[in-house]
Amino acid sequence: MTHPLLRRSLTHRLFLLATGLLAATVRGQEIPSNPPAIPADTSKLPHVVLMSMGGTIASRGTPRLNITHYGGKGTPPVTPEDWLHDLPELATIARVTTDDERAVPPAGQETYEQARKVARRLNELAADPTVDGIVVTHGTNIMAEVAYFMDLVVKTEKPIVFVGSQRPWSALSGDGPLNLYNAVRVAATPEAARRGVLQCMNQYINTARDVTKTSAYRVQTFKGLDVGAIGFADPDKVVFYRLPTRKHTFKSEFAGMDFPTLPPVEVVYSYQEAPGYMIDALVDHGVKGIVVDGTGAGVPTSSQNEAINRAQAKGIIIVITTRTRGGRVQETPARTASKIVNGDNLPPEKARILLQLALTRTSDWAEVKRYFDTY
Amino acid sequence: MLVKLYPFLRPYLAFFSAAAMVAASALSVRAADLPKVRIFTTGGTIQSKGANRDVQMEYNTGKVTADELIADLPELKDIAEVSSTEISNVGSPAVNQEIQLKLAKAINAWLALPDTAGAVVTHGTATLEETAYFLNLVVKSDKPVVVVGAMHPFSAISRDGPMNLYNAARVAGDPESKGKGVMVLLNDEINAARDVTKTNTERVNTFESRDVGPIGYADSDRIVFYRELSYKHTYKSEFDVAKLTTLPKVEIVYGYQEADRAAIDALVAAGAKGIILDDSGPSFGAAVAAWAPKGIVFVQSDRKGSGRVMLSESVAKRGIVTADNLNAQKARQLLRLALTVTTDPKVIQRMFNEY
Repeated sequence: MTHPLLRRSLTHRLFLLATGLLAATVRGQEIPSNPPAIPADTSKLPHVVLMSMGGTIASRGTPRLNITHYGGKGTPPVTPEDWLHDLPELATIARVTTDDERAVPPAGQETYEQARKVARRLNELAADPTVDGIVVTHGTNIMAEVAYFMDLVVKTEKPIVFVGSQRPWSALSGDGPLNLYNAVRVAATPEAARRGVLQCMNQYINTARDVTKTSAYRVQTFKGLDVGAIGFADPDKVVFYRLPTRKHTFKSEFAGMDFPTLPPVEVVYSYQEAPGYMIDALVDHGVKGIVVDGTGAGVPTSSQNEAINRAQAKGIIIVITTRTRGGRVQETPARTASKIVNGDNLPPEKARILLQLALTRTSDWAEVKRYFDTY
Repeated sequence: MLVKLYPFLRPYLAFFSAAAMVAASALSVRAADLPKVRIFTTGGTIQSKGANRDVQMEYNTGKVTADELIADLPELKDIAEVSSTEISNVGSPAVNQEIQLKLAKAINAWLALPDTAGAVVTHGTATLEETAYFLNLVVKSDKPVVVVGAMHPFSAISRDGPMNLYNAARVAGDPESKGKGVMVLLNDEINAARDVTKTNTERVNTFESRDVGPIGYADSDRIVFYRELSYKHTYKSEFDVAKLTTLPKVEIVYGYQEADRAAIDALVAAGAKGIILDDSGPSFGAAVAAWAPKGIVFVQSDRKGSGRVMLSESVAKRGIVTADNLNAQKARQLLRLALTVTTDPKVIQRMFNEY
């Protein structure tokens, strides 16, 4: 007869096994299990800081086919340490240390306060002589504009690489592991320096200024719509073909600066019969600048134009972008006469950030225009 | 009774009954005849292994069998009654007419069975579009055939193969996929075999239909189609491989500044019955004038990668067939099959207009 204590312990063991299996299902991820050997001496490798601002790449879902409604209760998020654990091959590329800047707010509720905190931290890390490069993970929805903000306010020549994924860390055929691996490779590449803040997913290396999310679900979502990628993180090497000409990072007038708050700037969309009263409402609300995302070459409706005149009379700066998401809004005699800033080829969400920063220095439209011509 | 006998189980009763219901519903799905999908494997990156999971190129330390592919993806059992047939296990540069004919005949036999839903073909990506278009011309069924591959090997981190295979099986088992010819599925995108081409050496979004876009998507929530095909394919095709054991020799000559006709002459001497001229060279015209009267069929394609080669009376007078917007490697597949039926350039032009 089995001793009751032993019997309980067997039950207990079975219970542990069952919960262990359950946990494995929840935490389980789809990464094949044949990592390479780690070299004994890694002291000569570059030092890359892996900073987490969360995102899909830091999320799990169950089962592994769940790639649309992951996260939430019962699916613990991925910590930076989990990435190091799951991807030991990172140690073949760099000495990776982690920095956890995960936001409390979920997607759609990200705050400027968090971006500001991360910008300050990035400036600290960039100034640290022991750091060679930085990788920042971020959710993909607003990654491009957050990366552009950092491109304007972080003072560094070192590579800063934003990365995320379209599928959660746990997903079947998830893009996260390879994206993270490649982002660390780019951050550890000396040639990646002095190109401003970069963004690397799906092996494409794009500049923060020029990259846009173009697809809700496809993994090739990030594209430099007007000017293409500047390089690739390919299996044989990280290769660059372009340098950005616009001012960024170490050449930015905002580099290293800290802004407790930014002036309020909002975005208005243009379409058939888009009414001007939305612009009036923003003015009433106290905005200092408005980005109007015009049709075609940057054309608001006549109702919007009338509201723009009313807003300008109150000293509000107007920037025009185009909803085509490709091509520049150009300087024209009519725009110059009406003191409207042409938004170049920035999408409205990025024009908003540049306008916010510009408004910390000036409220003169011609000076704001200079920022849009050079950044 | 259970509750009465074992009152301490009461708190768990809801859980147990829920679990039982889940199990029962799972069984009832089984019973409700999942679509019968067969995976025909030919090899390629999707069936390749590297020494380590960070090996993303030159992965050649092992091959994955059809059974391993299926065992690796137990989720397949929830969407289809999956079986498999190995046709070959080679990289796609090694796929030849023998493999193509064997594959086409096996698929035709499978789809001719009344209770089958569709077929999936695994293939290396380099020449995947050629086999897919070949099948598009010779499959005798309106049931879906989905050709699938991968850009990262089976052993690699962020391997794309399993999701591609899972989605391919979903599409092959989906009633909406019927009548859409042979489809190519990688990276969630459903492209038509005729129109898709590999556009990138390395990236997972390599397959694109440059001229006319994808026809649908295999998204998480459902398979969604936006396009039907206007040209002839599969069940409406006049080509039949049933009695074929070989295909006529058709080769491709690339056009560029100062391209010499010597390549054309050499191919004719080697026994080519048809030649695809991919763009032109200064002496190609003279070569066509020399060989077309002797029964060699020339098809004009264009190296630019998108756009049509126009129908032209003057080109037709010289005996040259124009390839519409088929690329050279697909024009070759169509010309090979056309030459099993006729050597008349007028009839072949009609085929290039229709397929």
